[in-house]
Amino acid sequence: MGKMERFSFVALVAGILFFLFADFISWALPMFVMKDIPKKSVADLAAEAISKNTSAWSDFNKLYRYYPEQFKKFCEYEDMYSGSGKIEEAECKPNEKTFAKALKVGHRWYVAEGCWNCHSQMVRPVSNETLRFGIPGVSNTVSYPSEFNNELQAPVLWGTKRVGQDLIREAAVHNVGWHVAHLYNPQSTSPGSVMPPYPWYFEKDSKGNIVPNARGLALLTYIMWLGSWEVKPPESFRMEAKQ
Amino acid sequence: MAGNQDLQNLVNYGLVKAHVAMGLIFFIIVGLMGFLYSLQLDGIYPFLGIEFLSPGRVRMIHTAGAAYGFLVNMFTGLLYWAVPRFTGYRILSDALGWFMFIALQAAVLITVVSILFFGMADNVEWGETPWWLDPIIVFWLLLHLMQFGAPLFKASQRGPLYVTGWYVSAMLVWTPLVVFMGNLIPRFWSVGSGAGAVQSTFIHDLVGLYVTPVAWGLMYYFVPVIMKKPMWSHGLSLLGFWGLAFFYPMNGVHHFLWSPIPMFAQYSAVFATVAVEFAVTSVLINFMMTLRGSAEQLKYNVPLRYMYTGAIFYWITCFQCAFHVTLTFQKVIHFTDWVTGHAHLIMFGTFGLWVLGMAEYVWPRLFGKETMYSKGLSEGAYWLLMIGVLAMFFDLTAAGLVQGFDWIGLNPWIDSVNFSKPFWYFRSIAGIMMLTGLFMYALNFYKTATAKAGLSAELREA
Repeated sequence: MGKMERFSFVALVAGILFFLFADFISWALPMFVMKDIPKKSVADLAAEAISKNTSAWSDFNKLYRYYPEQFKKFCEYEDMYSGSGKIEEAECKPNEKTFAKALKVGHRWYVAEGCWNCHSQMVRPVSNETLRFGIPGVSNTVSYPSEFNNELQAPVLWGTKRVGQDLIREAAVHNVGWHVAHLYNPQSTSPGSVMPPYPWYFEKDSKGNIVPNARGLALLTYIMWLGSWEVKPPESFRMEAKQ
Repeated sequence: MAGNQDLQNLVNYGLVKAHVAMGLIFFIIVGLMGFLYSLQLDGIYPFLGIEFLSPGRVRMIHTAGAAYGFLVNMFTGLLYWAVPRFTGYRILSDALGWFMFIALQAAVLITVVSILFFGMADNVEWGETPWWLDPIIVFWLLLHLMQFGAPLFKASQRGPLYVTGWYVSAMLVWTPLVVFMGNLIPRFWSVGSGAGAVQSTFIHDLVGLYVTPVAWGLMYYFVPVIMKKPMWSHGLSLLGFWGLAFFYPMNGVHHFLWSPIPMFAQYSAVFATVAVEFAVTSVLINFMMTLRGSAEQLKYNVPLRYMYTGAIFYWITCFQCAFHVTLTFQKVIHFTDWVTGHAHLIMFGTFGLWVLGMAEYVWPRLFGKETMYSKGLSEGAYWLLMIGVLAMFFDLTAAGLVQGFDWIGLNPWIDSVNFSKPFWYFRSIAGIMMLTGLFMYALNFYKTATAKAGLSAELREA
């Protein structure tokens, strides 16, 4: 028994061996099981959204039409922490580059504000969550591994506490206008809510209206992107394909 | 038996004082931050509309500050006291110790400024430090390994180490691995559900492989020293340590049950967590049997009382954990305040009370005094902290059940918020109790350190 009470034995067996064994089971094996799921960069996500013409892409276009002045400022916005640089004026319109930048910058501020402290991003297969967070015919799936295999989920934003609702299907739930009002004053759209307001994502435009600023546009794009890959028109809306 | 002068040469008193004092200051700061955040849930947040005091950012200071500001400072300070004393060898270097002290405070300060003012945060609970700071923290932890590894290694050349030595040795190796794994792997080497598995392992391993082993190691040192008798069973000590060492690292994934992580990883976490409760129970039996015959000391000895209160809370938390870690319980209580209550009972109720007890034992001795300045403050702080955290635990546990069942019932979301509000008000009141206790405790510390005359043991009876 004396050997078990030596520094080197404890450090090697308990410290390194047991730790590696646990990591093998709870990290390496799951990684191996999921190794065939492609990992997507932010640029891939942007290209995918555009090619599939998802709701996130049309929402981004909407933001460009609603707030052209602020969109210019968004192109000029530089952010070292998320590695986003300026975008030339010639390219300053909804395209792959600006959309990817908006997702990156929006994700950065979503994390920085601690949104994930109160909003989870995972629909579990229990507790009636598919009914609560899905809209029948539009989105009613539980969370699945491939929708998290991208740069914006490294580390994942599943969260550990819900004060507010889950956000991973948010694109199917509220529209951009609702989010603009909600971010500026949550109680205006959700009476009784305990969410704080975020006025620093807004500014006054030349006419004196309160509009989202550069960071605000990015944050809204990111929120409207959440779950946009799941938003499909309801069955009854679908047209028969022309032969 | 070494004389007082020898012990003074063995332990660097300055380092213990500095770390414990900073730990206490950060304890109060993170407590205040938590209280401030709770005011947002009560709808009376005083700093709305100020970007750098946004509740979401304040909450990250509450968690990251508790990890790095409070616990690391307190534990490091107490290790500077305990490790040289039970090994009989000095730490590697005093200069390194002061460098590490300053580096740690700088790291915490940089974290606070980055999160509050620059919005540079990382979405890893307990690892909210900006990612470029994490390699520096890993480097700090490697220095930490050398600093305390040196006396442990030297002592180990002479023969078997005491129980505390096993816990500390394992922790010294685990902590840099855990911080590296949890903060850097999910950002640079893995994404999605794989990253989720690593992240959940980190959330639990920082508790299980840093906080728990240091805290139990220190308990194995301080309890026998205070009671002046050995632990009841060496066999149970061995069982508790190796049980914890084998099963604890696998626990993490239980934070993300019902998630897209493969089920075998989730089941292994559930199994390992239930197994840990058996190891914990063996440790608890050992401590309770050691107390047998000396229980009346709890009446007079506040540090010892802190330690045993914390130990009982620890067992309650682990017992609760064995149940709510199951997939059945998770359907209801995941994402609710139940988990918050659980986290506060373990972090404040157990580890908080333990370090406060240990610090209260060490503090007068550091200043050459026989006792704390005021018995009244000492007792008052204990009761406020103990009742406060227990009240918060029961309150949040009940709130969690209300929220969980409300969500299953598919009521409008806002109902669950409105139903929670009474519980959240009560939580803030419990928070005021805990903060008042902490202020009394800190005042007692300040007065003890600055009292001019040597406080004599006779005061204890007054």
